[in-house]
Amino acid sequence: MPSSFLSRRRFLSSTGMMLLIASAPGARAAEYAGALPWKPFAALPPDPPPGGRWYVFTPEEARTVEAVVDRLIPADELSIGGKEAGCASFIDRQLAGSYGSSDRLYMQGPFAAGLPTQGYQGSATPAGRYREGLAALNKHARATLGGKAFFELAPAEQDKVLQDFEAGKVEYKPAAGFFNLVLQNTMEGFFADPIYGGNKDMAGWKFIGFPGARYDYRDYVTAHNKPFPLPPLSIAGRPEWKTGDK
Amino acid sequence: MKTAALLAGLAASAIFATQGFASDLFDRINAGRYQAILADCAACHTKPGGKPFAGGAPLQTPFGALVPSNITPDPETGIGSWTYEDFRSAVKTGIGKDGKRLYPAMPYPAYASMKDSDVADLWAYFQKVEPVSNRVVSNQLPFPFSIRLSMLGWNWLNFSPREFRPDPNKTAEWNRGAYLVNGAGHCGTCHTPKSLTGADKGDEALRGGNLQSWYAPNITSDTHKGIGSWSIDDVVAYLKTGANRFEIASGPMAEAVSHSTSLWDDADLKAVATYLKDVKGDGAAVPAPLAANDPALSAGKAIYLDRCSACHVSTGQGQASLFPTLAKAPVVNSSDPTSLIRVVLEGSQAAGTTAKPTTPAMPSFGWNLSDSDVANVLTYVRNSWGNAAPPVTAGQVKDLRATLAR
Repeated sequence: MPSSFLSRRRFLSSTGMMLLIASAPGARAAEYAGALPWKPFAALPPDPPPGGRWYVFTPEEARTVEAVVDRLIPADELSIGGKEAGCASFIDRQLAGSYGSSDRLYMQGPFAAGLPTQGYQGSATPAGRYREGLAALNKHARATLGGKAFFELAPAEQDKVLQDFEAGKVEYKPAAGFFNLVLQNTMEGFFADPIYGGNKDMAGWKFIGFPGARYDYRDYVTAHNKPFPLPPLSIAGRPEWKTGDK
Repeated sequence: MKTAALLAGLAASAIFATQGFASDLFDRINAGRYQAILADCAACHTKPGGKPFAGGAPLQTPFGALVPSNITPDPETGIGSWTYEDFRSAVKTGIGKDGKRLYPAMPYPAYASMKDSDVADLWAYFQKVEPVSNRVVSNQLPFPFSIRLSMLGWNWLNFSPREFRPDPNKTAEWNRGAYLVNGAGHCGTCHTPKSLTGADKGDEALRGGNLQSWYAPNITSDTHKGIGSWSIDDVVAYLKTGANRFEIASGPMAEAVSHSTSLWDDADLKAVATYLKDVKGDGAAVPAPLAANDPALSAGKAIYLDRCSACHVSTGQGQASLFPTLAKAPVVNSSDPTSLIRVVLEGSQAAGTTAKPTTPAMPSFGWNLSDSDVANVLTYVRNSWGNAAPPVTAGQVKDLRATLAR
């Protein structure tokens, strides 16, 4: 018998599943008639945890991440560096939320290897990967560069450690994946809305000329070859909203 | 033989009489139904989602809460045991069955000008409404306002019952409009400023009033604060559909349009427009706008461009039927900014009517804009594109925010 033939067992189990789905409670769509539903003060504002403290990182981890982000985006004549922009604080706050715990991802097995295009497919959460990866980073630094932690190294030495991690040329097997995770999160912190802790004073947006959280350009679409005149805008506003500031 | 023919004739005429009476009664009930729409009885006496006329949601007056009564013909809890004379007296003089005095939150000072024939039609209709047993404790006012007899003094001070008298120098249409605006339509209940005792300031009729944390704008022919720049068709479109080329009804007016004016006869709406266009404003000179370099205006302009201009357009023109025009809008130029502050803080939804069922809504900005942000952006709106009105203060925003949060 060919394996694709619908066996009695498969037929019965699939029918049973359909009956289960059909009888599942709470699967009713809401119905509205007349005016659309509306409530005063309806809003789902972003609710980021306040800054000024570390939520996930230990003091040593915080110093390590600050050192890493400042090498990935060093301060130069173009912009402030990743540390001053708040990238480490951004990552810490993200790890404290659903991103760090993978709360909104399917996290049951099986954990197959997956393709590179599919991203990370393992069972660890981002918070766990940071804890393990940062420890490995400092362990590698201390073992190879005179007992110094990563954040105690000179910039050139730090670059060497990061390059080794990126290339996977260290004992720690997930090194390349960890490097890419930190690089990705650092860019997110540099360009995400400042209310999430990074992109201080919209420095990332000013750097690339991104106008921010705006959604209407009708006054400007016909003004060809002219720079957009308004400064970038955060969800929380911009300095020009305040009287006296300019 | 003769007797038989006579009997047959009598029987036939009896049938005719019954039929005639029945159709007459139907016409009167139907006319009464229309009077109930004109008077928007349901606005107060029907709770949102509740049985028609079985009692409404509490009205928050400056003196305390009043709950609109059950006016279905239920004999125990409604007006089923009332006579026509009880009903007429309640509607036109504020004195209900057994001399019980109503509070003027029931707009009997306006209904007093209704013709007896219209009130009789209304009575015919309310006798046919489905009776609902629902006991309502109307009077939830604190002492001393809870003493109904105090309304004796109020009426003596503020109320002179007088049926509408047409002005012979005006057209029939104008007079019909005046009758509707000042009578059943009771527009002044919201749109006329109130004295300390809560009575209409008669000499300032329809020049804008503040109640229940809304400002009902000036609807006189004032071209700055009122609707003087609206055409008759603009007024009719607004009342019929909830929107015209400038404005969209919001707040309590959206409800009034949805439940009442959108169901009025076109001829009546045109009469109302004709009359309103002839009501004089206060004649005050248009104030000069604040200087454009005022710090509140610079900050307000930045907020406007970032938060408002996507819909209301950088020139305040809005988009017909979707986003109200802010330039030269009566409610924007009102001395009292309550409604403006309110829609910015809590958002707003347009009236839903058969003609315009879309009910576009404005989002709430209360979470995103501080008290001074709201004050500055409204000060900018009130002093740009031909508008001119006093600045809004952060304190005004703070107070209204606190009131609305309760």
